[in-house]
Amino acid sequence: MADKRHRAPARSVPAPQARDKLAFLLALVPWLLEHDRVTVQEAAAHFGVTEDEIRTSVSLVAMSGVPGATATYQHDDLFDIDWDAFESDDEIAITQHVAIDDAPRLSAREAAALIAGLQYLQALPGNADRAGIRTLIEKLSRGASATPSQLAVSGGPDGEVLGLVQRAVAEGRRVRFAYLNSRGEREERDVDPLRVESIDADWYLRGWDHLRQALRTFRFDRMSDMVVTDDPIEHDASEMHLPDTLFEPSAEDLEVTIEASPEVIGLLADYIPDGALTSEVGDRIRTTLRVSHYHGLKRLIAGMPGTVRVVAPEQARRAVAEWAAAGLARYA
Amino acid sequence: MLALLATESGLTKTEILSSVRGYAQRYVSGGDNANLERQFERDKDDIRELGVPLETIEPLGEPGDNHNLRYRIPKGAYDLPDDVRFDSDEIALLGLAAMAWREGSLSAESRRALVKLRALGIAANEPVLGYAPRLRLRDAAFEPLTQAIDRHQIVRFDYLKPGEERARTREVIPLALVQYEGRWHLAAEELATGEGKTFLLRRIVGKISAGKPAPERPGDHMARSLADLDAVWERGIADIEVRAGSDAAQRLAHRRGTEEVAPGTLRMHYVDLAILADELASFGPEVLVIEPPALRAAVIERLQRTVADHG
Repeated sequence: MADKRHRAPARSVPAPQARDKLAFLLALVPWLLEHDRVTVQEAAAHFGVTEDEIRTSVSLVAMSGVPGATATYQHDDLFDIDWDAFESDDEIAITQHVAIDDAPRLSAREAAALIAGLQYLQALPGNADRAGIRTLIEKLSRGASATPSQLAVSGGPDGEVLGLVQRAVAEGRRVRFAYLNSRGEREERDVDPLRVESIDADWYLRGWDHLRQALRTFRFDRMSDMVVTDDPIEHDASEMHLPDTLFEPSAEDLEVTIEASPEVIGLLADYIPDGALTSEVGDRIRTTLRVSHYHGLKRLIAGMPGTVRVVAPEQARRAVAEWAAAGLARYA
Repeated sequence: MLALLATESGLTKTEILSSVRGYAQRYVSGGDNANLERQFERDKDDIRELGVPLETIEPLGEPGDNHNLRYRIPKGAYDLPDDVRFDSDEIALLGLAAMAWREGSLSAESRRALVKLRALGIAANEPVLGYAPRLRLRDAAFEPLTQAIDRHQIVRFDYLKPGEERARTREVIPLALVQYEGRWHLAAEELATGEGKTFLLRRIVGKISAGKPAPERPGDHMARSLADLDAVWERGIADIEVRAGSDAAQRLAHRRGTEEVAPGTLRMHYVDLAILADELASFGPEVLVIEPPALRAAVIERLQRTVADHG
């Protein structure tokens, strides 16, 4: 499919639920115990949370305990920290602890999510070989409190392309390949590789395109004859800011009105701009798509026969009809 | 929770509600504690969903007496086993594996798993080349099905098979969810026939209803299901003529298992004829299906439909 407009997942990091908070506390305590004395800043960096979250959690831990034999929470039944260091130096030191001292196990679903993720990444060279991944999966299963949920992901990227890209990055050199764009034009591209991304079975290379002098995203299955060149890269990942969206919307994008059955609206979500007007027309949903040109549109629509219909503009509708008619003509 | 970890003999519900902070302040001795009891039930669910092994012990000689049920968390079953430790490369890989789920229902689980593993205090080795993998969960059926699998429940749903006019209701024991060629499939056992079946999630119409407890079906259903799909893929062979230099020629040739059997003719494998027909229709005049006849007919029918809809 051409010029998919992958919007980054909605930035809706859900408000931490009770479960998330509890999991965090259960992980924070053994880590703090491992480290005699750490700063709030170090803890925040390690767990990837804000310093305030650390401070709140530490205060909560410091007031926790067990009711004890007399059910009265005596001093020995409570956590305690070095309050002076905490309040004046922003340092955390647990001076007394109860009940928890080790990292918690994973739940069946937590382990399953990681295991399925690992299967998906199995083809990534360099990180770990297949045996390494197997050991890791086995360890995760043992580290779970129940048998991990049955979840599996097969397939992975084209190992050859990935291997070349990795070598190029390690050596700081450009890759060169023939690229067929969605308009059907084949061009030789010289690219500083920056990042590899994937969505399910589709893999992409993001990099600095020397031909266009801009950041570009390339589909693995549209590249051929890749080589690692002798030319040094001009840009590396540390200095380039890669936007979250794989493809940037542009001012020249075309707007197309469509009617689709409700089941397939999700499949078109990448092309529906934020705030698009949506209305119901009979059992169909009428909305707007943004595409960079009709070459991509005609392929998209012809691949969803009977479920999506282009209504306007006339030129777009005709582009789709002609594309399908040309396909049909081959069977005449 | 700390109280439950610290106890060896277990605590009864009354002991917990009357003595543990958070409950005790609101506990009315001998009075109505219905709200507090509901809170306790919710907390219990939260704790269990986190993978904390909350045990109940029935008092000796009083089976079935819920009132004196004792709760505890055995320390040995709570702690991550000592031999389960990870090195920096492994932590980096686990971070990527979790990142793949940043959309959808498993994102909370993978985030929590990472938080728990951070307790071990190992920093990740960052790879030289950045990766941003992503697994999408566009199918609404995914979440209710994983839950039903975890809870061992039978599910009912309407399933629309390609070529059939309307959806039929299926009642199955859900066993595993597998992603194959970018699409999610449910491996299940049909209740009426006892037959193993594979369902494509995107063809499930409407809601999943989960209910009755399902009988145990031990085994590696993921491996079996992937092997089944592989076998179907192996048997599904199509010969396609592609226009030289076209998008179709480029992309189809890059597919796993595709070979060029004659100049401009690709032999490819597929699992689902209807899905392949959709994909081939999108290539318009760039492809011509030679074999099998059913695929040829399906592509022609799709193109006719698109022409009719846009005429």
